[in-house]
Amino acid sequence: MTRPEPMKVAGPPSGVVATGIKLSLPIPLSLADEIGRRILFLSSDIVDFELVTDTAGVTGVTVYSAEPLDESAVTRKINTALDIDVRPQFATPARVVWRSPVSREVAEGTYEELARAGVVVQTGEGQIALGEPLLELFHYFDRALVDLLKSSVEILQYQYPTLISTETLQTAGYTSAFPHHLFFITRLHNDIDVYRDIQNTYADTPLDERLLRFCRNVDYCLPPTMCYHTFSQYRGTTVGADGPQAVTALGKAFRFEAGYATTMERLWDFTIREMVFMGTRTEVLALRELMMTKVFDFLRELGLSGHCEVSNDPFFGGADTSDRIFSQRMMELKYEVRLPVGSDRTVAVGSFNFHTDLFGRSFGIEHSDGGPVSSACVGFGMERLVYAFLCQFGLDKTNWPPGVRS
Amino acid sequence: MNDAVRPRVHDFLKPKLGGHSLSENDDIFALGYVNSLFAMQLARFIQREFDLELTPGDMNFDNFRTVDAIVRLVDAKTGARTTPEVCP
Repeated sequence: MTRPEPMKVAGPPSGVVATGIKLSLPIPLSLADEIGRRILFLSSDIVDFELVTDTAGVTGVTVYSAEPLDESAVTRKINTALDIDVRPQFATPARVVWRSPVSREVAEGTYEELARAGVVVQTGEGQIALGEPLLELFHYFDRALVDLLKSSVEILQYQYPTLISTETLQTAGYTSAFPHHLFFITRLHNDIDVYRDIQNTYADTPLDERLLRFCRNVDYCLPPTMCYHTFSQYRGTTVGADGPQAVTALGKAFRFEAGYATTMERLWDFTIREMVFMGTRTEVLALRELMMTKVFDFLRELGLSGHCEVSNDPFFGGADTSDRIFSQRMMELKYEVRLPVGSDRTVAVGSFNFHTDLFGRSFGIEHSDGGPVSSACVGFGMERLVYAFLCQFGLDKTNWPPGVRS
Repeated sequence: MNDAVRPRVHDFLKPKLGGHSLSENDDIFALGYVNSLFAMQLARFIQREFDLELTPGDMNFDNFRTVDAIVRLVDAKTGARTTPEVCP
């Protein structure tokens, strides 16, 4: 599962009110990203922010809003969230496990160029339509990733439904670990009175949040990634008798993000190629490592700049959030491949994750040797991957690597 | 090596082992007796029990996998006199 980027601090927007929030205790600068990725989720009134730092670390946050904020309420929200999620964290060192030998200059303005050419069209918040040649690239990279997988292990391919049951996400622990990213699906309760109420209430007025009183269902969500479909598919089964089980799927994934830039770097609605491995701990760790090696070779051969580093998922607000983040980073359960998309920033285009036996236990998936199965997954955000490629190689196909051009 | 450290580490780990024995070089995470979240409990225990502060440089998984590794880490952090494992 790839994670979203830490919130980018864009500086004070025009026409907004600034409110200075003092942290109850300074937080080390090494945890600044962990602070930044939470602020926009703490209140929907906050539209942007800047961290205030001095030699003691991060000492405050300047938050921006359309209207004046209740300073004490926002101070409470921020300090409470940081008390739960960030202050208990041990800082872990940044660790890069691979760096491309290619160092490529990345100019700004790729998204604007794509938009001007009609290759991408923003259709809504965090949503874009893709045209050619982006579609060609999308399929090229997807085929290449599947080929890397096929050359490593025997695989099963599936296409999953767009919707995923809320119960599956809860079983996976997603609703408690990542409540801020959830998207629920609902529908009007099937009742003639409901339909008539809707028809009467909204005959001449736009639909609004009052509509929700006519809805009852919260039993389905939009999936944040593909692997939960796979674990649900294998729920209550036994695997591993003939070696590790590998499953891959390409599908749409959805994560609510509280802040956006108008580019392809952060989307609500994106496409993920995910590969899930289930087997013994040794088997799935070996497959994760093999895929890392193959992906690094692939990126290097293409001539892409980038690196891979130890990372963590954006756990939020749970009693064990800091424990989860620490264990992921210290035990190197998650690595992210990051590619430059500008002169000063990278985006995570893929991740390599080891789940230990967490999902084997959660979904009752047993290994034929006994005990819960261990699992790992490799996921790539396809829009980000092709966007990073275009940022580095441009739209002119004659500048693309021959393998991609052909 | 500080011999007082080892039994305290074993005492802390013992309730997690479900009655199984643990060798000095067994990987406590790979054996499946603890889940990954135990890493935080272990780090907190080390700080509290041995009155030391773990720094980012200590946060290498290899320092936490085995009893031997934990004892080495504590010894290094507390400046305990170490005995060469192989005599010249």
